[in-house]
Amino acid sequence: MVEKDVVLQIARAVRAELERQGYRVVMTRNDDSNVSYDDRAAAANARRDAIFVSLHVSSTGTSGTARVYYHQFAAPIPPAPSAAVANAKPEAPPPSGLAVWEEAQRPYLDASHRLADLIQSGLAQSFAGSPVNASGAAVRGLRSVAAPAVAIEVSSVSVSTADSLTATAAPLASAIAQAVAAFRQASPTGAR
Amino acid sequence: MTPRNLKIALAVLAVAVAIGLISLRSLHRRIQHLSETQSADEQARHEVLAPPISTPTDVTLKAKIFWAAGTDRVAPVEIALPLSADPIERSRQLLSALSANPPTPGQRTIPAAAVVLGFYILPDGTAVADFSDALTTEMPSGILSEQMAVNSIARTLGSNVPGVRRLKILIHGQEVDTLAGNVDLTGFFDVNPPAGPAKQAH
Repeated sequence: MVEKDVVLQIARAVRAELERQGYRVVMTRNDDSNVSYDDRAAAANARRDAIFVSLHVSSTGTSGTARVYYHQFAAPIPPAPSAAVANAKPEAPPPSGLAVWEEAQRPYLDASHRLADLIQSGLAQSFAGSPVNASGAAVRGLRSVAAPAVAIEVSSVSVSTADSLTATAAPLASAIAQAVAAFRQASPTGAR
Repeated sequence: MTPRNLKIALAVLAVAVAIGLISLRSLHRRIQHLSETQSADEQARHEVLAPPISTPTDVTLKAKIFWAAGTDRVAPVEIALPLSADPIERSRQLLSALSANPPTPGQRTIPAAAVVLGFYILPDGTAVADFSDALTTEMPSGILSEQMAVNSIARTLGSNVPGVRRLKILIHGQEVDTLAGNVDLTGFFDVNPPAGPAKQAH
């Protein structure tokens, strides 16, 4: 059983469910290709009102559970009263209208957190033992996405058959679709 | 089925159950032995790769080492450890203990072969931990496992080394993109993240 194949199967099921509900879905990977994180982010950033969902299958964790993550940047260090820091040049803000690629997710952190909580809440119903609240983590794949973005990780790839993992696709798709609909209702602009 | 055949069938069944129980016990012992051997091998390998760090200012203190507590979080375990007064040497001692001496194999958060090649603390409280390649190459891939690894390193430092405020992880002297494909290592990590374990659904 290869993680990337299982993830692709799950992603296709999620796409079908979302399309059934009227959403336009763009897959960042639809075959065995190895798409870089930056290319995936670029694909999302090229579209208006996108929602970015990154799917993963873990090799660890309690089997049959699912976790949703939003990106978390490290908190900045409060300035220390030392001469070295006092004389340090403040970081220049980017020119107006431009986002720093490495931090493109920063303006969307609250929206991503809300979306992640909505999806996690739905998954907690279908996947017993899953957390009720989403978690913050420095997920590389979310850092440069200029849109609400979440990563969903299903545990675990160490289950006995691929079927038991692919069986998670339907409830996963349903939870994502419901959360996206709820998120869109609550947000003035959303994904379509 | 005649009573005689029934007796024979029951006798065969009883013998099969007895053989099964004996095999199961033997299998359990073998698994236990393998697990112990593996732990001993890991310990020996770690001692070769990273010999114990001893400094003139070492004092045995209670240290809080963050190992896995279940499958999804890390929690402190208090152990007595000789710790240096020098924050850099102390940090190396702590990370060495984190890697080499988990109470049980299931509590391991970072690979046994991961050793600290260098450790620095900048004036602003940024700790820079330079690990060997094994930290990335032998780490199980996944957001959860990678996040637990980073948390265990960061929180162990945050709980035992005064003055450390955030952590930067390097691999063999270089900044790398991710730990094992998911967690971003290009930034910094808080060593005292806000508490609040996720509630579980049942």
